[in-house]
Amino acid sequence: MKPFRTWLGGLLAVWAMAQSQSAFAQVRAPAPMPPASAYSAAVSTEWFSLALQLAQQNPGFSPPVVSRALAYLSLALYESVVPGMAGYQSLAGQLNELISLPWAQLDEPLHWPTVANASMATMTRMMFSNASAENKARIDLLERNLPIKYSQDFDPAVLSVEITNRSETFGKLMAMAIMTWARTDGGHEAWGPIRRNRENYVPPSGPGKWSATPPTFSPALLPWWGENRPFVLRRAQDCPAPPPPTYSEEPGSAFYKDAQEVYRVSNAATQEQRQFALYWADDAGKTPTPAGHWAFIANDLLKAQKASLAGAAETMARLNLAMSDAFVASWATKYSLNSIRPVTYVQLVIDSNWAPQLMNTPPFPEYPSGHSVQSRAAAGVLSALMGTNTRFTDNTHNDRGWGPRSFPSFAAASDEAALSRLYAGIHFRFGVEGGKAQGQCVADKVMALKFKR
Amino acid sequence: MGLAQTAPPAVPHFVNETESAGLQSRFEGEGEFMVGGGLATFDCDGDGLPEVYVTAGVNKAKFYRNRSSRGGPIKLQEEHSGLELTNAIGAYPLDIDGDGITDLVVLRVGEVEVFRGLGACKFERANDAWNIHTGNAWHTAFSATWERGQNWPTLAIGTYIDRSKSDFPWGSCTPALLIRPAASGKGFAPGQPLTPGYCALSMLFSDWNRSGEAALRVSNDREYYKGGQEQLWRIAPGQAPALYTEAQGWKPMQIWGMGIASHDLDGDGFPEVFLTSMADNKLQKLEGDGSRPSFGDVAYKRGVTAHRPYAGGDVHPSTAWHAQFADVNNDGLIDLLVVKGNVSTMPDFATLDPTNLLLGQADGRFVEAGQEAGIANFKRGRGGMLADLNGDGLLDLVVVNRWDKAQLWRNVGAGSADKPVGMGHWMALRLQQNDGNRDAVGAWVEVDLGTQVIRQELTVGGGHASGQMGWMHFGLGEATAVKARVQWPSGEWSPWQAVPADSFSIWNKGSGLDRWSAP
Repeated sequence: MKPFRTWLGGLLAVWAMAQSQSAFAQVRAPAPMPPASAYSAAVSTEWFSLALQLAQQNPGFSPPVVSRALAYLSLALYESVVPGMAGYQSLAGQLNELISLPWAQLDEPLHWPTVANASMATMTRMMFSNASAENKARIDLLERNLPIKYSQDFDPAVLSVEITNRSETFGKLMAMAIMTWARTDGGHEAWGPIRRNRENYVPPSGPGKWSATPPTFSPALLPWWGENRPFVLRRAQDCPAPPPPTYSEEPGSAFYKDAQEVYRVSNAATQEQRQFALYWADDAGKTPTPAGHWAFIANDLLKAQKASLAGAAETMARLNLAMSDAFVASWATKYSLNSIRPVTYVQLVIDSNWAPQLMNTPPFPEYPSGHSVQSRAAAGVLSALMGTNTRFTDNTHNDRGWGPRSFPSFAAASDEAALSRLYAGIHFRFGVEGGKAQGQCVADKVMALKFKR
Repeated sequence: MGLAQTAPPAVPHFVNETESAGLQSRFEGEGEFMVGGGLATFDCDGDGLPEVYVTAGVNKAKFYRNRSSRGGPIKLQEEHSGLELTNAIGAYPLDIDGDGITDLVVLRVGEVEVFRGLGACKFERANDAWNIHTGNAWHTAFSATWERGQNWPTLAIGTYIDRSKSDFPWGSCTPALLIRPAASGKGFAPGQPLTPGYCALSMLFSDWNRSGEAALRVSNDREYYKGGQEQLWRIAPGQAPALYTEAQGWKPMQIWGMGIASHDLDGDGFPEVFLTSMADNKLQKLEGDGSRPSFGDVAYKRGVTAHRPYAGGDVHPSTAWHAQFADVNNDGLIDLLVVKGNVSTMPDFATLDPTNLLLGQADGRFVEAGQEAGIANFKRGRGGMLADLNGDGLLDLVVVNRWDKAQLWRNVGAGSADKPVGMGHWMALRLQQNDGNRDAVGAWVEVDLGTQVIRQELTVGGGHASGQMGWMHFGLGEATAVKARVQWPSGEWSPWQAVPADSFSIWNKGSGLDRWSAP
């Protein structure tokens, strides 16, 4: 039993007696409770802050895996508070293979911050089930301390033991119901040992095909991720990237020209371009990864805008569903085309001694640029929700000494993130541009979801 | 009508007689025994008192001869019957071969075993004789119907997750099996898979729209399926089974489906369906005129959400398994039993999760009375059965618990163990007909109390891994003179006929109604 409940033990017994004694009571008129829009976004922002730290520290949480975890966290948040959002509806019925979810009992008033706290805590534990003991303790601590830290949302004068218990159990139930669905999407426990009798991935060979890249020549990362069930896209191929140029080693060909550009630009990158490349690299294990970067931006904005719990729930759901689907769509394209990386091409055709100077090439096929797909998907959603010309300050990397940085718009930031991969020498320009097109398609599909009834 | 106008229902008292009755059974087992835990009641010695067969997981399933004295304490005597099995998790009695002797289907982790009744409570395995071969899957649900023109039943057997994929079970639900009579007129044709299968934990053939053709409702566990949902299969004679679709009116729904109970609660002639789940229990009512299989949820409206323990202080969500509609206080208003219990030690679901006894009221709502009735069981309940074990017209209760003893309660009505007192009038009816479907499965019985008409469909299946065959029980309230009629499985109605209250009667389609007296 959690310490939070220990001091409530006696009261629980009283409540239980009252429950049984009122067994014959007709449905009581529910005491009115404020809607989710009446509370601050604190529960949401605190949990996402912790999730981003866990994403950075948990073994196996590569960028696609992080995007998936954030999406389920967001969905658990939204679905657990949507009964308290007038005019809004569950996304069950709109997301693939998710038909229905439990709904709040009509006669039981719920306290939405408590519901959200329990739901987020439960989903965080399940998504980061391989967290270290220290991080598991941090999850417990946050769940316990949030009501104390945010007394304006968790007013003890309003919160009865009964309402707290009911709210906690509903939040947990929702998280568990969503988790039953999550386990069958193809990405469950991807960080663990192969659990689905998959054979080893053998990349196709031939001109223009991807092969493991120097200096580590690591095996392909998550080659089946593109087969995962997307959230919103009916299938990953619903948002295709435009066809890349035909592979050619002929000087003057489109492919050659783009390769030569990578060679030239990365070798002659300005200090600013180098900074961009490093700023958006968002490497796993060192940062919250690209999806975590954009979640950080959104989280910061929700705090700055003093958003409500309801507003945060919708924003984070749209943003993270889009980024997760962006990874699935881009991975499906990457592993269907299996395009060669610049380092391989340049060494074969232009300069056998060349290698990107700023960073190693990630261990998966080039086309399209995953950063470009995911960043554009994120920017597309945030632009639609917060405005196309919203200036914002990005504090994601302040503690690394790289920020704060200000951007005139979400599109400007995502364009910089996309192009940073060219500066880094790991993507062709066509990979960047194709990725942006694919990402915008994902954003449009997510914005077409009907959150309102 | 508000509560102010509705008198609270009389609460029956149940006395725990597990020990004194001689019931000694524990349902044990790890992973593959987390679901199931059923029992069956049926009369195999003709004394009118149902025998009890209790599954026990990895332990031996036991057969108990009912040696109770009428109206007295319940006495069960373990006997060797031929039904002794390990890996048994559920059981459903029915007369498969139409010889007038009840047979038994035993669901198992492993091959389903089917037993032919020999009389005098002896049984022999009949899988080979009847050509029933289910394979080595995890069998978790059963139902049966007699399709029009058939002398042998059509059997549906539900399965759970793929036993070979226990390391990653999600998305590995295996299909159910539909076994139809052989063209030769004896035994069965090879089974056919009901694809897709979504981890069925309960199945029920029921004539949902009174068309004369039972459809197969399947309640599935969302915990393990991928893209699954609740299902309703159309099983039309001579045709391949087909799922009802959204285009036909079916409303997709996902729950942790575990048990099915069915009863016409509102007197419109169509059965309502209660579905057990993890907190998310549903009471479905047919919408419209029965031309489309569209069901809406009225659990909240009727007061049967039963989503949390009502006693014991555990505030976590409930886990509900067996469900059964029956009139436990004989007031003429149907009641609802819901057996509950944690799957194992799931911390976010109630550990103390008492069985619900939801008593029906005149206003159509139900109120909880489990604790007052004395059946607030805090073990890990699974299967259960309300049946009149001592022939006094009051329904007694048996519950199977995982990792614990099965339990038995005697219903002593408004009295005590020493002095039981009846609560209302009642009648017990057994249907008979001469074709292969000897027990008239699929029949509807209507009982006119003068103030209301009660309707019951005679089904085989549903609940959670638990079945019964025997007396149909009707509470009559204050009515002493009632009339009844039967719509036989053929669709033919018998004329209304006076039926004596507080008695057992056998209604033979050919020879009519006869009062039955204990030998």
